[in-house]
Amino acid sequence: MEISYENTKNCKVMTGKMALPNQYFAGRVGSKFIIALRDENKILGVRCEKCDKVFVPPREYCEKCLSKLDESWVELSNEGVVMNYTVVNYNDKHLPRRAPYILALIKVDGADTPFPHIVEGIDVGDVKVGMKVKAVFAGETTNTIRDLDHFEPV
Amino acid sequence: MGKRNRNVGIIGIGQTEYSSHKEHQNQVEMVNEGVRYALEDANITLDDIDCVLHGNMELFEMVHQPDMWHSLGSGAYGKDQLRITTGGTTGASLVCAADNLVASGMYDVVMAIGMEKLQEGHTTGGITNMADPLWFRHLQTGALTATTATMMMEEFGEERAKRAAMKYRIMMDKHACLNPRAHRRFGLEYDQTDDLMNTSPQLVGELRLIHMCSQSDGACVMIFASEEKAKEMCKNPVWIRDHITVHREETFNNFGIEMPEMTHHYAARKLFERNGIKNPVEYFDVFEMYDPSAWWGLDWAREFLLLKDDEHIKLLEDGEFDLDGKLPINPSGGVTASNPIGATAMLRPAEAAMQIRGDAGPQQIKKEVRHALASGFGGTLWSVLMMLEKDLDWQEV
Amino acid sequence: MAQYFGTAVEDIFNTMEERFLPEGTVDVDVTIGYNISGEGGGHWKVTIKEGTLKTEDMDGEVTDCTAVLNANAETFVGVTLGKIDAGEAFSSGSIKVDGDLTVLIAVLPKAFRPFKPVVKASSIVESVEERFRPEKAEGVDIKIGYDLSGDGGGQWTVVVKDQTCALKDVLDDDCTVVMRMEAQVFVDLNQGKLDGATAFTSGQVKIDGDIGAAGKSSSLFEKYVAEGAVEEQGEELISLKCVPSINQRYATGPLMGTWFNGLKEKKFYAAKCPECGRTLVPPREICAQCRVRCNELVEVGPDAMVTLIDVVYYASPDPLTGKIRETPYTALFMVLDGASRDESFAHDLNPRDIDRIKPGMKVRPVWSEKRTGSYKDLLYFEIAD
Repeated sequence: MEISYENTKNCKVMTGKMALPNQYFAGRVGSKFIIALRDENKILGVRCEKCDKVFVPPREYCEKCLSKLDESWVELSNEGVVMNYTVVNYNDKHLPRRAPYILALIKVDGADTPFPHIVEGIDVGDVKVGMKVKAVFAGETTNTIRDLDHFEPV
Repeated sequence: MGKRNRNVGIIGIGQTEYSSHKEHQNQVEMVNEGVRYALEDANITLDDIDCVLHGNMELFEMVHQPDMWHSLGSGAYGKDQLRITTGGTTGASLVCAADNLVASGMYDVVMAIGMEKLQEGHTTGGITNMADPLWFRHLQTGALTATTATMMMEEFGEERAKRAAMKYRIMMDKHACLNPRAHRRFGLEYDQTDDLMNTSPQLVGELRLIHMCSQSDGACVMIFASEEKAKEMCKNPVWIRDHITVHREETFNNFGIEMPEMTHHYAARKLFERNGIKNPVEYFDVFEMYDPSAWWGLDWAREFLLLKDDEHIKLLEDGEFDLDGKLPINPSGGVTASNPIGATAMLRPAEAAMQIRGDAGPQQIKKEVRHALASGFGGTLWSVLMMLEKDLDWQEV
Repeated sequence: MAQYFGTAVEDIFNTMEERFLPEGTVDVDVTIGYNISGEGGGHWKVTIKEGTLKTEDMDGEVTDCTAVLNANAETFVGVTLGKIDAGEAFSSGSIKVDGDLTVLIAVLPKAFRPFKPVVKASSIVESVEERFRPEKAEGVDIKIGYDLSGDGGGQWTVVVKDQTCALKDVLDDDCTVVMRMEAQVFVDLNQGKLDGATAFTSGQVKIDGDIGAAGKSSSLFEKYVAEGAVEEQGEELISLKCVPSINQRYATGPLMGTWFNGLKEKKFYAAKCPECGRTLVPPREICAQCRVRCNELVEVGPDAMVTLIDVVYYASPDPLTGKIRETPYTALFMVLDGASRDESFAHDLNPRDIDRIKPGMKVRPVWSEKRTGSYKDLLYFEIAD
């Protein structure tokens, strides 16, 4: 039988699925961060003296100068500033909220690095860069960054 | 040969311990540990590194761009970074790529990172998803097969083949017991041969649990520099002489009535031919082989060393693959001892280079190691074969 | 043998050699006498000299040593285990020392690792009913046999049924699973000194019967904690478990599409290389060896000749469903009739033929009744009689 690559009569689409169980370890430093969020409602960072930077979430070694940071913990404020944001307008099963919701980069006071989190308690159209927000902690723990449930305007 | 723009030396090697679990570290921290050891070994800082290569198994930890996340600990901040993920050969491909990048003149100093945290993922599931999704994925159940055991028992007799495979396995365990970084160190003795070859649980046919490789966590990091830089920065760089990568079609069609030439054999034949190596067993002082099971390790010795008939089994039986033999195989303990998959194929040239430097530790070969061979393996028969040298005095062919 | 706090006096002297630290006694030259009264007591003389140790079991009262310790058995064991305060025992006179007391304070801590109570396999097995967790045993109906050899060994059967647990000190014939090992290996496993997978892989543990049941049985019991031992509190390390799940769609293209539609008609199609003439099964557009595009499909099979056989005992989970495949099952490599000799085709064997299959045999495909043009259309191959 001669093959006709132009003839698409036999072409079809087969469906597949990949679902694999995984487990990730936060490590000693990451665990201390999550446990502080969960048990004390505190946001912890680490300071690199050499680079004069406070990192949050904390890391064991400075990514720039490789200084060891896991002894230089600093307690940060539960309040911070929206550095940037986006409004999530679609729904998918892996997303933490129903659309529309605000996903913002928030720099808490005392930190040099912002991290992404959800902003609630405000109309999605009213969020602004530079807006002051404060942390609201979750009632039930998931042992993740979502033990900090969301931020809301001060 | 003849295409090498400039020579490339290995100037730093860092390895974490290999283990079944590392709950105390996240992936970034484990990578960082390997990076720190390598920089320390090379006695340089991140400022000296021009480019970072990152490699692990796609799907094993199910992180889409691990190189991005790991840049928090890999030292890639502000530098060029490339990711390489070629399955089981990843670690060897990283070394080939680093060599190519430096030899070409693109970068002077390149750091390559191979890592895996198998505890965090699902290895068999990951491997299954690497088969072609239209047909073979539905048949494949991971990386286990006893076809080699079957063929070896057919060729050499059941008793001799089983005994030789178990001798190979126990030899590897003896080497691993010397290596402080090795993951599995059972303390097996040769008088356990009969017991183990008959009672170790069968996985597939005569491939038994004891024959098979481990699943490990760990990172291996190597630093490469141009000849000029290597001589300037390092007392005893180990030189990369040549390497070859050979692939076969990614299907399960290798076991017909006529067997095609194995990729390992093809790789060895081509590599030795173009480097004028007539007798690899005589020439090389150590061979670090990617041996996913004891059966494969023994069978592949024949392919990689271009041996005929039962020469490889005789060499094993005569103790010539032992640490004090003619051609020691896997002083590290090999893959049956430690298998952090994305790093596994890098452990081979890493150990070979340390053997050449003479600072491998308790598993150091006693006689001088000048010429080393290292192999990588992946997929449904992909081979990487690499030659390392102590001195820059080899003859161009 | 009389025991105090789960430990006999003898145990302490018998373990001295393994607890001895030569590097801590390089400049030491002392003899220590022990006169232990009461049940299980006795007389011992310990000589420590320049990194060497000699322990002697004496017939009568020991005197004439650098220091001689006199105590009753319960006090001596209690102090050694840290259950009785040593200072108080001295003060109260329940321990008396003749000679140089400083020897005991200065030398002993450097000469020996602390004594840890010897755990017996029987104590672990005998506590199994107390450690049983009925809430984890819903619907579980298994008999776990233990066959422990060597010192302190024995045979037991643990019966778990209707959320109850009963221990019998015989090994029943109808156990779901029997675990055989040296008693010491069993003790080490239960104390976390030996990893289960390591012990099993290295052949220290042999499992007869249902390996899966052996794995599951550990969740039915609380961890064994030796009497008097304090379980160490590890630091809390956070982990996140998740199942990343992705739906996928793959285009067959014309060749694999024809292959699947061929299965519907009980036909195998191969692509034929115009250069080397080999057949590619399932069909591939390019012959990777000649690096040319194939332009012809040929029908091969449906019967085939077996070249290699893999009998799989390892129960691997299907990553798509999470279901464990029934074992053993058999994977065949075979050359389909009319296919080129170096191109094998892989598929499963009908389980009924597992004992009869041999290389060189002819096999035929068994098809699904309802075929839709998918991989499910081909069930397996079986011996063509």
